[in-house]
Amino acid sequence: MSARTGIAWSAAGAVAAILLAALWAFPLLWALSTSLRPELETVSNQFHWLPRHWTVDAYTRTLGAGNVVRWLVNSFVVALGVTVLTMAISLMAAYAFSQLRFRGRGLLFGVAMLGFLLPFEALLVPLFRTMNQLGLINSYAGIILPQVVSPVVIYVFKQFFDAIPADFREAAVIDGAGPLRVLWSVYLPVSGNIVWAMAIVTFIAAWNNFLWPFIIVTSNDMMTIPLGLTQTYDAFGVRYAQLMAAALLGAFPVALAYVAFQRRVTQGFLAASGLKG
Amino acid sequence: MQGSDFAPTSARRENIPALMLLAPFVIAFLLFFAVPAVETLWLSMTDSSLTRTNAFAGLDNYRLLLNDPSFWDSVGNTFYFAVLTVVPLTALGLLMALLVNHFVKAQAWLQGVFFLPFVLPISVMTLIADWMLQPSTGVVNHLLGGQRAWLADPHWALPAVAIGTVWWTVGFNLLLFLAGLRNIPQDLYEAAALDGARGFTLFRAITWPALRPVATTAVILQLIASLKVFGQTYILTSGGPFNTTRVTLHYMYETAFTQSDAGYAAAIAMAFVAIVILLSLLQAWIVRWLAGRDG
Amino acid sequence: MASVRLRGIRKHYGDNPVIKGVDLDIEDGQFVVFVGPSGCGKSTLLRMIAGLEDISAGTLELGGVVSNAVAPSRRGIAMVFQSYALYPHMSVYENMGFALKLAKVPKAEIRERVTHAAAILQIEHLLDRKPKALSGGQRQRVAIGRAIVRKPEVFLFDEPLSNLDAALRAQTRVELARLHRELGATMIYVTHDQVEAMTLGQRIVVFNAGRIEQAGTPLELYQRPANLFVAGFLGSPRMNFLKATLVSGEGGLAVVRLAGGATVGVAANGAHARTGAGVTLGVRPEHLRIAGPDGGGIAGRLALVEYLGDVTLAYVQVEGADGMVAVKCHGKAGLPALGSRVSLGFEAGAGYLFDEDGAALPAA
Repeated sequence: MSARTGIAWSAAGAVAAILLAALWAFPLLWALSTSLRPELETVSNQFHWLPRHWTVDAYTRTLGAGNVVRWLVNSFVVALGVTVLTMAISLMAAYAFSQLRFRGRGLLFGVAMLGFLLPFEALLVPLFRTMNQLGLINSYAGIILPQVVSPVVIYVFKQFFDAIPADFREAAVIDGAGPLRVLWSVYLPVSGNIVWAMAIVTFIAAWNNFLWPFIIVTSNDMMTIPLGLTQTYDAFGVRYAQLMAAALLGAFPVALAYVAFQRRVTQGFLAASGLKG
Repeated sequence: MQGSDFAPTSARRENIPALMLLAPFVIAFLLFFAVPAVETLWLSMTDSSLTRTNAFAGLDNYRLLLNDPSFWDSVGNTFYFAVLTVVPLTALGLLMALLVNHFVKAQAWLQGVFFLPFVLPISVMTLIADWMLQPSTGVVNHLLGGQRAWLADPHWALPAVAIGTVWWTVGFNLLLFLAGLRNIPQDLYEAAALDGARGFTLFRAITWPALRPVATTAVILQLIASLKVFGQTYILTSGGPFNTTRVTLHYMYETAFTQSDAGYAAAIAMAFVAIVILLSLLQAWIVRWLAGRDG
Repeated sequence: MASVRLRGIRKHYGDNPVIKGVDLDIEDGQFVVFVGPSGCGKSTLLRMIAGLEDISAGTLELGGVVSNAVAPSRRGIAMVFQSYALYPHMSVYENMGFALKLAKVPKAEIRERVTHAAAILQIEHLLDRKPKALSGGQRQRVAIGRAIVRKPEVFLFDEPLSNLDAALRAQTRVELARLHRELGATMIYVTHDQVEAMTLGQRIVVFNAGRIEQAGTPLELYQRPANLFVAGFLGSPRMNFLKATLVSGEGGLAVVRLAGGATVGVAANGAHARTGAGVTLGVRPEHLRIAGPDGGGIAGRLALVEYLGDVTLAYVQVEGADGMVAVKCHGKAGLPALGSRVSLGFEAGAGYLFDEDGAALPAA
């Protein structure tokens, strides 16, 4: 396609690309610039694009005051927990749906996929009540557990398993492997890429989840980063340099994950979404 | 269809391992999805608070719902928000995909810049948006002039949140359209080039028809996602000013957790679900109709 | 080493019968080839013997033990898949040793058996490589090696050569024959290629549409086909078939009249067929002779000649027949110009007659 669009289009396109890229990069860059200046500069009536006095004060104070470090730890525990549990549960279920023959398979799979249709948001109230009865309000388990049900991930894995030639399973069966063994020794290694992709996507989604922690967490100490950051208004008042530092600190882990695993992340998101359509 | 070629022996052989493998999922599914779903339905027909279930109330909640101006206002806000986001998101997503696809050398950078916001937590977006939209110290007013308090202005609050949302989520549409573009076989373009077509004609004759199903999917997915908006309006504007940014889910949250009226909130949830299901079915139907038409 | 016995084996998918009653005995140490066109059920039968498909009816005995419900890994079989099915993330050594590892065989013994099998197949130098670093032929040997290591009673091969190019196929055929001699194991080999069947099999079983058409040694099937199907399946180019009517069937010589009017005699017993019945005359290309137009045989016109180096194939358009009759000759000498009229002749003993149902008339 590139060779065939005229030069005029190419030039216009280049301009558009540069403009859009600048526009999109701006907010984060501006936040960065804000975070690296002393607090006074942010409220002065003299506007400066770049800090006149560069300082990491905002960061040190953010990390010291409030609970930012605690929140980062919470987010990490939650995201890791959700990811590990979701992967384990989904892999086993997807394998059963894909490779095992049992009565009611089609029906059960259909019911599981209903999860697509019903948005999580509609279940907030009963989930809260259930968690209350289980005594899991404001706990790691309480935050993690409802996020573990993921029809999307199961669907992706099932599609993938379906596409693996049956020969491998049959050879393993002849070699004497039971179903669990086949999953562990054959299907899992072969699916390496997609498992990584979905794991990273799940991690990011769990890290970013706002709604559920918002409902289930009641104390400042147990908050995850997305939640905690909204509390910073109260903690820091109107200190924007610190607010921006907090925001960037909260963004940093996931941004890092994205940059490090760019291909896997896009692969995972594509797999997860291309199917809802 | 499963079952017809499986002799009883083999089905029995595999029932137990299947059970073991599925047990964790089934338990989690029941506990955290199926039972709450049924409970929502049940709750919506009772008069309950957040912690106690009270009398059965039949369809009273729904009757209330139909006549509740706050509810319909919130629905209106939600749809307004959806329109404000879906249109730019689709158009920009397509444009960005075309650009990323075209400028191959800068692809990793371009895609990275456009997609990065999508992996960020919501509060990062809201914090930065709030900062940028400050009336006297915000950079937006510095560039545009004036001292408008965007998030406190009844006319501008929702659009402002919408713009922030566009920045935040366009990466998803970018991905969808990119995948769609990459699925178009190269020979179509080569044949068209031989026929003398170039530039915009190529787009109109080949690219756009091939992207139509992707665009439809993107629009509906975006629509459904926009309907589910909650965090941005809650954090940035708390549903104000004057409830102009109170979206349906926010109303539901308030009803449940502030007014402790779980029954009514459940009714709102059910109405909400009905709309989402309708839209999903609509999308499936449209995609199938398009596929049948284009053959 | 055990024998394999199939009695009344049937299989259906829902209402669709795929195997319609198979009875077969395979002796210990035999190399048996299942051959037939695509979809005839030969692979399904193999997989039923392996335990990968369920048997709808009938009994399967392995080594005298009824094994219908026995798990595949306990039947004493090993299978070589068409696609080799080598575990991509394991090395050759691990691939070959996987079954033993699952059976909790001690490491020392695994090492011994794997290296021994690798030596037989000359792949010792590949033991540390992953499948994707191997050529097609090497992968195939690893697949065979994986089977050998398990010391099975019966080896099952599912079209193992179809993914190889022609030269490699020929070479591997020779090696498989050698392997059978060395191991002396019972081998069941599925293929759609009749050349493989003829060269490798001690016994061939021809399948068609879920049934056994005929079973016997290659020579038996070639020289005494029981019906039209088997006659047309083995041999390349295919046996020529011409429609005819029976004139007389006495005295060890059946006389038939062809559509074009010619009358020929075939050494077959037509006693049980009635005069005037429709029959099919079958003659193999190598048994036909081309003579001049007055030769007194079947009249026709020379339409096409193909020179293959050692043999020449001449195609003759025979009056009253659809399709051309193929004649296998040696060398170029003696063929008239294209388009000229010729007559075809053959010895009475080299012809076959098949009745309306396709069954072969008994030999004279």
